[in-house]
Amino acid sequence: MNQFLDMVLIGISAASIYSLMAISMVLVWRSTQVVNFAQAGMALLSTYIGYELVARVGHFWIALPLAMILGAAFSAFIEFVLMRTLQKHSSQGAIAAIAPIIATLGLLGLIRAGIGFIWGHADVQLEAPLSKVGYTFGDVTIVMSPMGLFVLLFVITLMIIVSIVFQRTNIGLALRASAYAPEIAQLAGIRVSGIRTLGWAIAGAAGAAAGILQTVNGTGALTPESLEFSLLLVFGFIAAVIGGLESLPGAVLGALILGLVLAAVQIYISGALVFIVAFLLLLLVLGLRPQGFLGSKAGRRA
Amino acid sequence: MIRINRRKLITTSAVLAIAALTVAAVPAQAFNPSMADPGITGSTIKLGITSPLTGIAAPGYSKIPGAMKAYFDYVNTKGGVNGRKITLVSKDDQYIPTTAVAKANELILRDRVFALVGTLGTASTKALTASTQLSKRGVPSLFVNTGWSGFADKKAYPTTFSILPSYQMEAKIMAKFIKKEYTGKKLALIYQDDDFGRDALAGFKTAGLTFDTYIPYASGSQALPATGAGWISKLKTAGAEVTVLFGVSSASTAALANAYGAGFKTQWVLGSVGGDATTIAATSKNYVPLLNGAKGFSFAPAPTDTTDDYIKKFQEIYTAAYGTTQTFDNNVVAGMSNAFLVVQALKAAGKNLTRKGLISAIETKGSTFASPFLTPLGYSAKAHTGATGYWIGTYGPTGALTPDGGKYTVYTTDSGTGPVVESTYKRPAMPENGL
Amino acid sequence: MLKKHPLITFIFFGFILFLISNRLDEIRVYQGATVAIYAIGIASLILLIGYSGQVSLGHGAFLAIGGFAAALARIHYEAPIWLTFVVAVLAAAIGGALLGLAAARLSGPYLAGTTLALAIGLPSIANQFSILGGEQGITFDIGLPPASLGEDFTQYKWFFWISWTVALITLYWLRNILNSRYGRGWRAVRSNDVAAELAGIHVGRNKVLAFTISAGLAGLAGALLAMTISLASPGVFPLALSFSLATGAVLSGVTTLGGVMIGAVTLVAIPEIALAIANRYGSETITTNLPGLLVSALLILTVLFVPNGPVEQIHAKRAKKGHSSHSLVEISVRVGSKKWSTNKK
Repeated sequence: MNQFLDMVLIGISAASIYSLMAISMVLVWRSTQVVNFAQAGMALLSTYIGYELVARVGHFWIALPLAMILGAAFSAFIEFVLMRTLQKHSSQGAIAAIAPIIATLGLLGLIRAGIGFIWGHADVQLEAPLSKVGYTFGDVTIVMSPMGLFVLLFVITLMIIVSIVFQRTNIGLALRASAYAPEIAQLAGIRVSGIRTLGWAIAGAAGAAAGILQTVNGTGALTPESLEFSLLLVFGFIAAVIGGLESLPGAVLGALILGLVLAAVQIYISGALVFIVAFLLLLLVLGLRPQGFLGSKAGRRA
Repeated sequence: MIRINRRKLITTSAVLAIAALTVAAVPAQAFNPSMADPGITGSTIKLGITSPLTGIAAPGYSKIPGAMKAYFDYVNTKGGVNGRKITLVSKDDQYIPTTAVAKANELILRDRVFALVGTLGTASTKALTASTQLSKRGVPSLFVNTGWSGFADKKAYPTTFSILPSYQMEAKIMAKFIKKEYTGKKLALIYQDDDFGRDALAGFKTAGLTFDTYIPYASGSQALPATGAGWISKLKTAGAEVTVLFGVSSASTAALANAYGAGFKTQWVLGSVGGDATTIAATSKNYVPLLNGAKGFSFAPAPTDTTDDYIKKFQEIYTAAYGTTQTFDNNVVAGMSNAFLVVQALKAAGKNLTRKGLISAIETKGSTFASPFLTPLGYSAKAHTGATGYWIGTYGPTGALTPDGGKYTVYTTDSGTGPVVESTYKRPAMPENGL
Repeated sequence: MLKKHPLITFIFFGFILFLISNRLDEIRVYQGATVAIYAIGIASLILLIGYSGQVSLGHGAFLAIGGFAAALARIHYEAPIWLTFVVAVLAAAIGGALLGLAAARLSGPYLAGTTLALAIGLPSIANQFSILGGEQGITFDIGLPPASLGEDFTQYKWFFWISWTVALITLYWLRNILNSRYGRGWRAVRSNDVAAELAGIHVGRNKVLAFTISAGLAGLAGALLAMTISLASPGVFPLALSFSLATGAVLSGVTTLGGVMIGAVTLVAIPEIALAIANRYGSETITTNLPGLLVSALLILTVLFVPNGPVEQIHAKRAKKGHSSHSLVEISVRVGSKKWSTNKK
């Protein structure tokens, strides 16, 4: 029983990290119909910036929102400079479908190289502001610490806020319209290009949070070729797909499913199978229910 | 039907051909082994090393070339080896075998080094040894930084020499220690699920040690959130009283940090690869105190042992070279010891220095070389084995490993089925001035 | 000349390479072999992305399958070299067919993400089976060059010859396939799969076939790569390799096979250029980070401003200037009794 509880808590902890990245990817997808493979790289950059901020400002609780704002700004900048130029020059031809993907890949490389130049040999550590020792009930310590709990609450709050924005506000409506029917949205008077930049900005903020929280909740160390971040990208993507790339609550649900399944595999079967299971899960969902658990549009994305 | 314009294909081919011919400024090098050995002149020796200076394996190991250079520079100030000064060309292979081969190519073919030293990583060493045809060229590859026992096989790797004890040796010694000290306790093993970890499993099997709980992890998965937590959960359920960790440093960090977070106490026994306090400290200074009380293995004197002649001398040399900008730790000791042995080998090969001479010098006299290690060296005409054993110690709150019982009790064995014996080896006194 | 006597052009090119191999120093010869390997890998992506319109960000996984298959065939069955390559192609092709079937309904970012996940997951699969050697890898030793070539014939020259012979044959074969009805079918599906289906092309099969062939070619490249470093291990086929190949394909011009050399040479040349620059400035940070920076910058610039590849761009410009219809590619499709053709691409 104890092990089962452990498994659930471990799964939820992992899920909260994946979901931040998944939310970020879904946001970009919903506002611009692009999957940003540089998301992890941008999150990494934001995390480094977060580290610098903590070093200068001293307080994690100020640094975190600041890093999110800077992450948003950087993300918006990328959309403005890169994605719009892309649309102008390569919206026809064979390359149209994959041009954004390739461009974001190039961006990832640039970011990595840049981080390597600036912070390459530095010993970068991001300290967690809250304790990572699990809560104790009597003589039982559960696998949920104050830090872990914070991440969980942060994710839930973020998801609620973003969902409300998307579903209940005019801006949210504009965001959705710009993604799915840009011409009509334009006719309705919405500044489509500006709205898309906004979408990326929000995604950038979420990504920054994902990067920072994952780092402080994990080992706290940062390196330019952080394996953690590459894995975060893939697992965030898998989580997003499982839940449905169209759906924000789906991103969280997908992350939850992924987190729990992997935790179960790890504890009850073997930790060596983690990557294989993740990949099989992805294929399974794509094969049986490609729109994801909470996605509503059936069929392929063209 | 589809027609493809032929012009551009021809143009491309022509451009390529011209470019290639322009590049071919150097005439083809004939493969002529009877030429004098490259890399040496009357007054210099050029050595080369390729290792991960950046990338996932860099923490800790990236200090080794710098440490080696510090020692070589010191030797140079004292006149060099038989009148020759040593230069070390250091390249970064990021722990990727394809890059290691490319860098080895540069070292051997472009920089024309006399010998390779200290290459790091089993896969990288395997790749570059085979591809550059080290044995056919007769290029010595001294003291490779890996615990794979295959490199000691003279037939397969005639010009390569090991220096570290193999993973099987370590596992066998660990097994003997555990059986003696922790009889009747519940044992668990966390190991990396590839050849590195499986070498250890083989060693444990030879020594007849079985664990109550086996926890393999996929290499790389220790970076995922919650992996470490999963291990601790399993250990808790199994009630493990002694947990052996045979993995890389990032795995040790994950295990220790999560144990701390879960309030889980066990007697940790860390393998030498994952027990690098410096690398753990690089992750977070907060994790180093978690090592307190864990058991560790080493075969060189502890870097904090100021009573040891070698440590004193190395520290002196290193501080003179780098001041306080770099900490003196086990990686530095490893690098400087490696360099020390290289110098012993070069000295033994005599003034008339050739590659063949160097190799036979190590084979015939290697086992009697002065060395900082507390185990005997196993070099012979039959095998290229380096250190052959470990001493067991306990980590303190600052991550310093000190030998159990206050003095170094070294155990030696082989990579096969030989027994683990307490060594009676007395390390010869350090040569004057540490030369 | 290529159009009329393609075979002779290829043989002529091979002859030039033979001459070159005798004039270059060993490092260049080794790099030359690497260029050939990249050429095959890039060609496989050109087929998949440019012709069939499916994106793979994890093609390194297929190179890995090929590399490991070849090494295993050599170690356990002492297969002769040519057979190891055949095994590599078949193994990777099977993998490609499986992935193609699983991913047939996917497109765009879904497919890209799935292939990415595969590239990340495959190494851990390798570690599961001890026969694959784990992180330390397994040796792939193709033996020494035959004695008949003389004592001075170096190992690297042997690699060069093998790689380029295989590359030339492969590119020739691929070119024929792309010119055939299969190529037309892929192009048709890529531009409008509904219309293609109406025209009688079985879209699903078509896509899986593209994946299979592309994977097989990648497997071949992987076997050659393992050959040059005498090792197959997970570290030999990192994620960076997949990204490099995708980059090379874009630099070459993903829609046509003709520019494949551009990408291959660029990928090998850039680290060299970076090394030269770094030696000038003597900074370690530059040596490590500059190649990545250059390649990424080049990639972004290419995608932004020369998206269809330099070759096609030059061509489009010439066509715009009013030259008669020598478009890069002219497709004509016969549907029933009607012929539909494009003059511009």
